[in-house]
Amino acid sequence: MSNPAKSTTPVPDEFQPRIVAFLCKWCSSAGSDLAGVSRLQYSSSAVPIQVMCSGSVSPLYILSAFKKGADGVLVSGCHPGDCHYMKGNFFARRRLYLVQKLLGFIGVEKDRFRMSWVSAAEGVKFAHIVDDFARDIKALGPQQRLKAKS
Amino acid sequence: MVKIEELQAYAAELLEKGQVKGVLGYRRGTAGPWVEPCTVTAAADTASLTWDPTCVNNLALYLVKDKKAQAASKTPDKRPLAIVAKGCDSRAVAVLLQENYFKRDEVVVIGVSCEGSGVVDKRKLSEKLKGKTPARIEFAGDDGFKVAVGKSETMIPAAEILADRCLECRAPSPTVSDKLFGEVVQERSYAAPFAAAQAAEAASEEERWAQWQHHFDRCLRCFACRSVCPMCYCPECVVDSTTIVITPQTTAEDKANRIRWCERSATPADSAVYHLTRAMHLAGRCVDCGECERVCPVNIPLRLLNTKLEKEAFEMFEYQAGQDAGQASLMSSFRDEDPNGFIR
Amino acid sequence: MEKILRKEHLSEWLSLLDGYDIHGPAFADGVWNYARVEAGGEPALDHTNTVRPVKEFAFPQREVFFRFEQEKGGRPVLTAAVPDPKPTVVFGVRPCDGRAMPRNDKVFAAEFKDPYYWARRDQLTLVGLACAEPHSPNCFCMAVGGSPHSEDGLDVLMTDLGDRFHVKPITAKGVEIVARGREAFDEARPADKTEVQRAHDMAERGPQRSLTDLAGIADALRQSFDSPAWKELAAPCIGCGVCTFLCPTCHCFDINDEVTCQAPCKGERVRTWDNCQFPDFTMHTSGHNPRDDLAARLRQRISHKFLYFVDNHKTQQCVGCGRCISECPVGIDIVNVLETVAQP
Repeated sequence: MSNPAKSTTPVPDEFQPRIVAFLCKWCSSAGSDLAGVSRLQYSSSAVPIQVMCSGSVSPLYILSAFKKGADGVLVSGCHPGDCHYMKGNFFARRRLYLVQKLLGFIGVEKDRFRMSWVSAAEGVKFAHIVDDFARDIKALGPQQRLKAKS
Repeated sequence: MVKIEELQAYAAELLEKGQVKGVLGYRRGTAGPWVEPCTVTAAADTASLTWDPTCVNNLALYLVKDKKAQAASKTPDKRPLAIVAKGCDSRAVAVLLQENYFKRDEVVVIGVSCEGSGVVDKRKLSEKLKGKTPARIEFAGDDGFKVAVGKSETMIPAAEILADRCLECRAPSPTVSDKLFGEVVQERSYAAPFAAAQAAEAASEEERWAQWQHHFDRCLRCFACRSVCPMCYCPECVVDSTTIVITPQTTAEDKANRIRWCERSATPADSAVYHLTRAMHLAGRCVDCGECERVCPVNIPLRLLNTKLEKEAFEMFEYQAGQDAGQASLMSSFRDEDPNGFIR
Repeated sequence: MEKILRKEHLSEWLSLLDGYDIHGPAFADGVWNYARVEAGGEPALDHTNTVRPVKEFAFPQREVFFRFEQEKGGRPVLTAAVPDPKPTVVFGVRPCDGRAMPRNDKVFAAEFKDPYYWARRDQLTLVGLACAEPHSPNCFCMAVGGSPHSEDGLDVLMTDLGDRFHVKPITAKGVEIVARGREAFDEARPADKTEVQRAHDMAERGPQRSLTDLAGIADALRQSFDSPAWKELAAPCIGCGVCTFLCPTCHCFDINDEVTCQAPCKGERVRTWDNCQFPDFTMHTSGHNPRDDLAARLRQRISHKFLYFVDNHKTQQCVGCGRCISECPVGIDIVNVLETVAQP
């Protein structure tokens, strides 16, 4: 990702986490836009990928992101009851609960995969979530376990 | 006790009356002590049907194979098939019915209860015999198995060589059947359900990763686990770029640009993507027949991945695969009480 | 140059093999497989046979041919990745697996000398261990022209004489590796040689599976191409490919480019094992598949072993190790298949 809004100039040798964020178009992606339009300063570690609904996020997307070297993966959708497609986020909640359990079971560090509910009005919340994630991933270090060795 | 002559007679009757086009069952194989799956089409041949501790195969796979063969055939034979099914196999049939893979009247389930016993785990037996292959394995009551190696015979207690899935089995009697042979047994005192997954969970994160890294590293990507699973019936597997379905309408563009979620070569990272995806695709559908683990040529403890998810489904969503052919699937249903605490 | 090695001196011999990567049989997770022997350790030489075949040392599951990387706006730079392995010695190679290697060597040298295979093969020394008895009820090495003490393909042949091994170097590599052992060995006396002869004769008593008429199989297979027996024999087959992957002589491969970055372009050209039992093995880009069903693929595998290889190289490709029989999840048995469809 080039030219993101930066809160601090990154130190060249310091590990910069790369987080892939799957954001549902109707709520979370709009929420991230609001964060931008509000000129909020927050970590530029997250690469946003817009999906139509958090319920459309396949486990393959998450595994693929980790395989390609993502240090953290976030899936964010509408709050329960507010899904643009009525039920999508309920399916996401169930499916991604199991994905998280499975990743933990095989020994991928806890919390590299996260889920959040962010509405279109929650720019501030989005910024906090990304900042917290980046901070936690910095402490964990680069993701090596599922990353493909080149 | 399962009276094999009665089972054979029932099968013969089904065939004589023309109620089924074949009976999927087990018969003695030519190679070693293990049975082989067979399709008996003539009533006279039902005498070859057998039931013993080597009847490990999940014959529901052949129901799926038959369905696919009929769908591809210009002259399909749509008559029902009968299947000899253990408890786990009947649950596989229940899941397939639940998913409308076929209709209830297309299959006649000849249920066999494992009663207090079960089937033998080849690896555990091999461990006990230090790699030697036995000539014969027989039930010896609920307590054990009589195993003949060369000229000598030993009694091995059931708990030592029963497959893990049998030790943990919650339903040794078929959940769906047209006729049941053997007694229905509810209480079995071997191991707690999900015991193996629970034990694996108890290890530290580093230990767990060390284990799974070792397993993914050894995977040959032979896809035997997928081939043997009745629930893996997709004509084109999303994870394997080799099974793309090509029709006359498939363009060169499509073929060249097909998505490759994981590469053909067996690197640990690609193998991890394959196994984890398969586990997710089986969530709420795996009945723990144990076949995937049995057929793996490099001995990856695959059922741990699947039973871990089934354990979560049971504990968190009160869901059991194959319990009831009429229930909704795990992943296409939800409850208001589903966990929210892990979401920020 | 025949030697005697007292069993307690085995580690002494190994300690004199510096510069070599040493591998040998080890029992883990209920199965025998080759494992690296660490300094001070010893290979277990009381094994049946390994599940994974010795071909992996020269023909691994994944081999990188070359890497390509593009300078921005420039042309891609190709870097060959021909392996440069350390000299490797494998202990405990059974004579059947030993015989398999010259058959693989023929394929990888006949029309074109494969540099990747030979880079590994030239550094590989195989120390065989004669069989005292068939290691499984599915052994049939003698039926295909081998024997429990065959030297074909091995660099050294060891024979277990109870408290000691008889060690016979066969090739220049074998002579070299035995010479390194120096005082670990004693000279073999005529009495030892008599004992070896006796052990070998005993081993030939078997019992092994047999083929009625080995020489007649090729023509019989030629005649039975359209036999309906293939369909019946392949009925339980699930296309898992375990038979092929574990076979010591199966060597088919696939080549794929694995691109890790599109722009600038970066990736590797990789060879991986392929499998004639997989559905896409003979898939044409038109979508037509001449071996669309498992019966055709079973026929292909059997015919490759016992007809096409005979036509091309004047010998069967099968060495009678029995792995495909023991590891087939559904009991398909090559000896049974041949006796059914290719014997008088």
